[in-house]
Amino acid sequence: MPERGRQYLILADEDLISLVEAADAEAFATLYDRHSRAAFSLAYRMMGERQASEDLTQDAFLKVWRGASSYRAERGSVRTWILSIVHNRGIDQIRSQASRRRTQEKIEASAPRSQPSEAFAETLKNSQRDQVREALDTLPPEQLKVLELAYFSGYTHVEISDLLRLPLGTVKGRMRLGLKKIRDYFESRDAAVPR
Amino acid sequence: MSEMNYERFEDLKDAYVLGALPEEERLSFEDYLAAHPERQAEVDELGAVAGLLAFSPQEQEPSPELRNRVMEVVEAEAEPRRVRSRSTFARVGDYLSIRNLALGAAALLVIGLLSWNVMLQGQVQDLQGRVQDAQGQIQDLQGELEVAQAQQSQTIKLKGSWAEQGAIAEVASMPKHQIILVARNMPSVPEDKTCQIWVIKGDVPKSSGLFQPDGNGTATPITNSITKADAIAVTVERAGGSKKPTSAPVLLAEL
Repeated sequence: MPERGRQYLILADEDLISLVEAADAEAFATLYDRHSRAAFSLAYRMMGERQASEDLTQDAFLKVWRGASSYRAERGSVRTWILSIVHNRGIDQIRSQASRRRTQEKIEASAPRSQPSEAFAETLKNSQRDQVREALDTLPPEQLKVLELAYFSGYTHVEISDLLRLPLGTVKGRMRLGLKKIRDYFESRDAAVPR
Repeated sequence: MSEMNYERFEDLKDAYVLGALPEEERLSFEDYLAAHPERQAEVDELGAVAGLLAFSPQEQEPSPELRNRVMEVVEAEAEPRRVRSRSTFARVGDYLSIRNLALGAAALLVIGLLSWNVMLQGQVQDLQGRVQDAQGQIQDLQGELEVAQAQQSQTIKLKGSWAEQGAIAEVASMPKHQIILVARNMPSVPEDKTCQIWVIKGDVPKSSGLFQPDGNGTATPITNSITKADAIAVTVERAGGSKKPTSAPVLLAEL
């Protein structure tokens, strides 16, 4: 690593994003190295295969590069901002695809879900991820399913209602209760929701 | 579609933060939000809860080729913009409060040592050799610190739970008002965590540098002035640092 580039490693994300705004490629590379794994993991969860996930990750990071000035620290951390870009662009792409992974989702949606704890049992290094997974683990499977179909698969509330053959009000209710339960998880531990 | 009003806003806000509104409804929701900015904070807060889902997928490693592709585009686009910008080095220098590039040999050595130690995190194959090198440089650094102390520079020892476990951390003021945190025998932190230095005035902590302890030794420039500060603290934060401390200090010095 060039001598100059090493200095970036001690800078916080907020400082790096200011440098990126001024077209500093090395600051951008540092941000990429810090957050590309989380971004790609989210992209992979949404797109379901490597090439599309890499395309989405590339697309999102180039938006970070070109649109660093739109970052607002008061709205959340740089990491959260980057992930929200991945998420929003992922939803756009999923919805623009003629054939989505709906058939598979439909099968999964109708099948009894395995214990959530099994899905989240893997020990991970990332404590924030662990905390989030623990929070999700507290959700009833039907609430978690609605959140996942919306957030990761890009379904609208109306589509979820059709897919699960539930009244729209029930879908909205599960979304509301699911989010509330996640928030309650952190509040009950006197912890702020990570942003 | 019903007209957007308070009740409808309430009804749709959860679907909105999950990205589950159809385009037309989303635009209508955002129009309402633009007309009622007092509700933005509420939506942001709910959005933060929904955004936690982004952290839950199982980790996947992107390919090195992806990084190459992204950086190729970035570097090609950076060139024309660089012409209008100040030099990168000067800008980084501002962040590090380095006003005089002719820093003494001690400060340069400190940055070199920092670089070595951060590099150690990612280069396991070279670990053995680099550790020996870092230890040699730590000895050099200690020599430089002694020189600085002899020149009536100040050092402040940090206390706290890590110090009780054997970590040794000192804040040293170097020539030209350069302040560094030198630490040895530090516990390691997970790779998705980092140590963050805070300069605290009153109740306000200001982020003042990140470092990755590796048990051998680190030296980190403190990027904010400690003049009139009340304390210096170190907390363990997520990789990349936090805007505010999210955990209790593991090292602390009241000034």
